[in-house]
Amino acid sequence: MDSGQILAMVMLVTICGAMLVGYQVAFTLAGVGVVFALIGQYMGVFDMLFFNALPSRFFGVMTNELLVAVPLFVFMGVMLEKSKIAEELLTTMGQCFGQLRGGLGISVTFVGMLLAATTGIVGATVVTMGLLSLPTMLRANYDPKLACGTICAAGTLGQIIPPSVVLVLLGDVLAGMYSEAQLSIGNFLFEPFSVIDLFAGAVLPGLMLVGLYFGWQVIVALFRPEASPAYYDSSMDRSHLATQIIKVLIPPLFLILAVLGSILGGLATPTEAASFGAVGAMLLAATRKMLNWKILGEVVRSTTRISCMVFGILIGASLFSLTFRGLGGDEVVEHFLLSLPGGTITALIFVMILIFLLGFILEFIEIVFIVVPIFAPALLKTDINPVWLGVMIGLNLQTSFMTPPFGWALFYLRGVAPKRIKTGDIYRGVIPFVVLQLIALCILAYFPQLATWLPKQLFG
Amino acid sequence: MPAAIPFFSRIADFIDAINKKVGHTVAWLAFSMAIVTFTVATLRYGFSLGWVWFQETYVWMHGSIIMLAMAYTLMAGGHVRVDIFYRSASVRYRALVDLLGTLLLLLPSLYVVAKYTIPYVLLSWSRLEVSQEAGGLPGLFLFKTTMLAFFILLILQAISIIIRSSTALVTGDYAEETGEDFEGGQGG
Repeated sequence: MDSGQILAMVMLVTICGAMLVGYQVAFTLAGVGVVFALIGQYMGVFDMLFFNALPSRFFGVMTNELLVAVPLFVFMGVMLEKSKIAEELLTTMGQCFGQLRGGLGISVTFVGMLLAATTGIVGATVVTMGLLSLPTMLRANYDPKLACGTICAAGTLGQIIPPSVVLVLLGDVLAGMYSEAQLSIGNFLFEPFSVIDLFAGAVLPGLMLVGLYFGWQVIVALFRPEASPAYYDSSMDRSHLATQIIKVLIPPLFLILAVLGSILGGLATPTEAASFGAVGAMLLAATRKMLNWKILGEVVRSTTRISCMVFGILIGASLFSLTFRGLGGDEVVEHFLLSLPGGTITALIFVMILIFLLGFILEFIEIVFIVVPIFAPALLKTDINPVWLGVMIGLNLQTSFMTPPFGWALFYLRGVAPKRIKTGDIYRGVIPFVVLQLIALCILAYFPQLATWLPKQLFG
Repeated sequence: MPAAIPFFSRIADFIDAINKKVGHTVAWLAFSMAIVTFTVATLRYGFSLGWVWFQETYVWMHGSIIMLAMAYTLMAGGHVRVDIFYRSASVRYRALVDLLGTLLLLLPSLYVVAKYTIPYVLLSWSRLEVSQEAGGLPGLFLFKTTMLAFFILLILQAISIIIRSSTALVTGDYAEETGEDFEGGQGG
């Protein structure tokens, strides 16, 4: 390693420490990038000419058509949240299946899946479900541990089940790096990879996960009936239950069909489909008289803040990686990963464990913009399928987000759970689901076709 | 309490008010963007109609939101922190992190951004640059000017944070994320 590369490694250690201090991630990234560039220039190992690329990188972010999908999906999610569609879904499904042993747990999982496919905002989903279904499950005398675990698991599905904001971002990052990596090893005939492939690839693993959750609920209902008793609320009017269910199921199914269908059917680009989703969400809100200027104002402001948060990190991370690459850090990482004994597999396992651990302190978006650009190029130069890699990363992070003691979903749930639920209950309750996640990861690792089959069928 | 504090707080209030106004105004672009994108897609698939300038409209709206509302998001507490320690730390610690972070991380980055983007934008102005796509929008130089607004608004917000955090170090009273705009909410 030359002194520039050593500086790059110091930079990696510094950024981990600096972020823990608690300043905003976006500006910590940008600041550390700039400070190390100045140090590097002083030491004569960094050329400030690298920063000439800065304005065009900014402009690239501002004019990237695909990235317009991000605020539009956020808009759709926030609109659905504010129009209380999720609330109604939860209560109605609970009434429907609640009379069966274990039924409440299954309906919470099912609603989580639908919300995941429509909103895709994890924080919002966990909070909504925690506020609405946790009290119901507790009233039904569910084991608090099982109730908390179910909600955390179902709430994090939004990351892996498309369309999801994080898959758009991950797909965009991976697509750029994949073509660069393939060209750099002299392969000019590679099959192009896009966000749409990643969406298609995530469908089956996502459904598999939901299946595993269902299976667990059934097992618990069979072997520990006292943990998930049947729930019958006699105060509810059940005469119109069937029509009620159809009424609450149509809106989300309609949106899923419009958005996911148009993308996977090859009709629309993710951005266009996201706009269908955004307008569709407004229409649904209008049908329940929840569309007015006040709510719309809240939705656009919330959308703006969340989008700026995402793109702030993107811009900050691009400053960081500009310096990191300028110092030659990417070569060190590549050399390290490829020199691990056991070759590609060890490198992949190493990166997966690293991402899992970083998932404790970083959000998905930060991982996508910081960690993936550092480690993925080396992996993409091997024969690893980018769709499979993307879905593995997504599944891995989702697991990390519900793993005690630092998983984000646990924090969100803790924030809305009643005081009498102990933090230890949440931790213990989520463990079986973490095991299910690990099983799903192993299955996907052994059968990459789960991720690669559908894109191949759809797009050849 | 030093006599200068009310004066400086008024400056911080004024800056926050500017960014709030800008943010709230720009936010409506998110609504127009949804409508325009929807219209573009519908015209394309429904009627096989399409114009490059029309597609550029929603892309530019998106770019403008990012550039113009970044400082508003900072003001409204919308940028995420790794808050494992920060969340439960003392007022002194939080104020110190914000003060030093702004001085040592935010301002240097803004300096570099400014240094490299000002010539870029000026060049665009000198040519009164238009979109490079055939049939695209005129006024690309105006769109690129949002990059200048980006760091000017952020520098202003940095000044506001410096005032508020250093005041907090003196008074021990710190509300870094205040007002109706702190509704939480994160993607992910």
